[in-house]
Amino acid sequence: MTSREVDLHEPAWNQAELLDRVDNDRELVRELLAIFKEDFPRTIGSLEAAVSSGDLKNSGSLSHTLKGMLSNLGGARAAAAAASLEDVACAGEIAALRGAYDALEREAGRLLPELDAYMAEVRR
Amino acid sequence: MRILIADDEALSRRMLEKALERAGYEVTSVENGKQALEHLCKPDGPRLALLDWVMPELDGPGVCRAVRTRSEQTYIYMVLLTSKGSKEETVLGLESGADDYLTKPFNAEELRARLRVGERILLLEDRLVEARENMRFRATHDPLTSLLNRGAIMDLLGRELHRSQREQKSTAILLGDVDHFKRVNDTLGHVVGDEVLGEIANRLLASVRSYDFVGRYGGEEFLVVLNGCDPPYAPGRAEAIRKSVSNRPIQTAKGALALTMSFGVLLSADWGPRPVEELLHEVDIALYQAKDAGRDCLRMAKPDAKTEAPQAALPQPARRAR
Repeated sequence: MTSREVDLHEPAWNQAELLDRVDNDRELVRELLAIFKEDFPRTIGSLEAAVSSGDLKNSGSLSHTLKGMLSNLGGARAAAAAASLEDVACAGEIAALRGAYDALEREAGRLLPELDAYMAEVRR
Repeated sequence: MRILIADDEALSRRMLEKALERAGYEVTSVENGKQALEHLCKPDGPRLALLDWVMPELDGPGVCRAVRTRSEQTYIYMVLLTSKGSKEETVLGLESGADDYLTKPFNAEELRARLRVGERILLLEDRLVEARENMRFRATHDPLTSLLNRGAIMDLLGRELHRSQREQKSTAILLGDVDHFKRVNDTLGHVVGDEVLGEIANRLLASVRSYDFVGRYGGEEFLVVLNGCDPPYAPGRAEAIRKSVSNRPIQTAKGALALTMSFGVLLSADWGPRPVEELLHEVDIALYQAKDAGRDCLRMAKPDAKTEAPQAALPQPARRAR
């Protein structure tokens, strides 16, 4: 068993934790979200293609990149799902690849609306 | 202070940039390990580095290993920053040459605190290097004139003679002595004598090229080594060096003093491979001949001149009048 536990009590996006780590710089948070909104779809798209083709090497490296990106942004649950996928890929468990990817996609599906809501709020 | 950030992920890079700019660092960011290594290997490159573990081209531990293989440059304090977190990976990172290790997601305050540790280490290194350089200077230079001391100039002369022999060039050795220097000390005191020696050192240094050497050989004796000196030009250059002292008076606290120097001059090409001590003995004899000829002049040490004036017939240098 290589997958990691996703803490269900953890919020999809821990905004307070992120603000604490960036010295409460809300302008920087907006900038980081903009970078994320640009990089995330591209990276997860490449990851999906790697998983579909059973490419363990790229599945591992792209999920590692997403893990860093998500944890930096305060998306601990999605980061944990990305870590599970990385573990699966590194362990060569090709049969578990799709399931781990789907879990990541679900967590990303919870996170993205929260980020969008924050962006919409700060634009007002 | 300048710091290098190497991270292939834009979001992480921006967070780091902001956290460090806020702390007053001058930040350079790159996207892969190869670029990081290029920056860190520059002679004036940053001495603090934050390196992501997983990067294209060359990973963080690879950068650390490559940096640590260079021994000639100043120390670079490197922190590995990664989402890897196991003990084995920590050990691997530190053994690659990293000084510290920080796990993502990082906290800006903790990051800055860890970098302050790095700054303290670098400051300590700077102080040690400065102390070592001071000790090296003191061990190789004369405290009065700041010229190379006898041991250092002898070492350099030995090396230059080997090199000129290897490259089939000629090294000129000039041994100079201040004429009637004892009178200065006896009549005007040692403080004025020291002033005279300091000014003569300055003039000798100013009269040679940047790659020649000047050293204080003894009390009022100076040794000048002219590298790659073509034999036909040697007497003229030696004469110019001698005149740099006699052409104008030396200003001292007790007035201007018109002083001269006598020189013995030897060209290594005239003598072939000989031990340094032997060549110095020969140039010392030539210096004596200059003194004997009335001072304020130079004499060349020539192998054929030895047959005309056998060494045994010359007074011992230690006993001659200066």
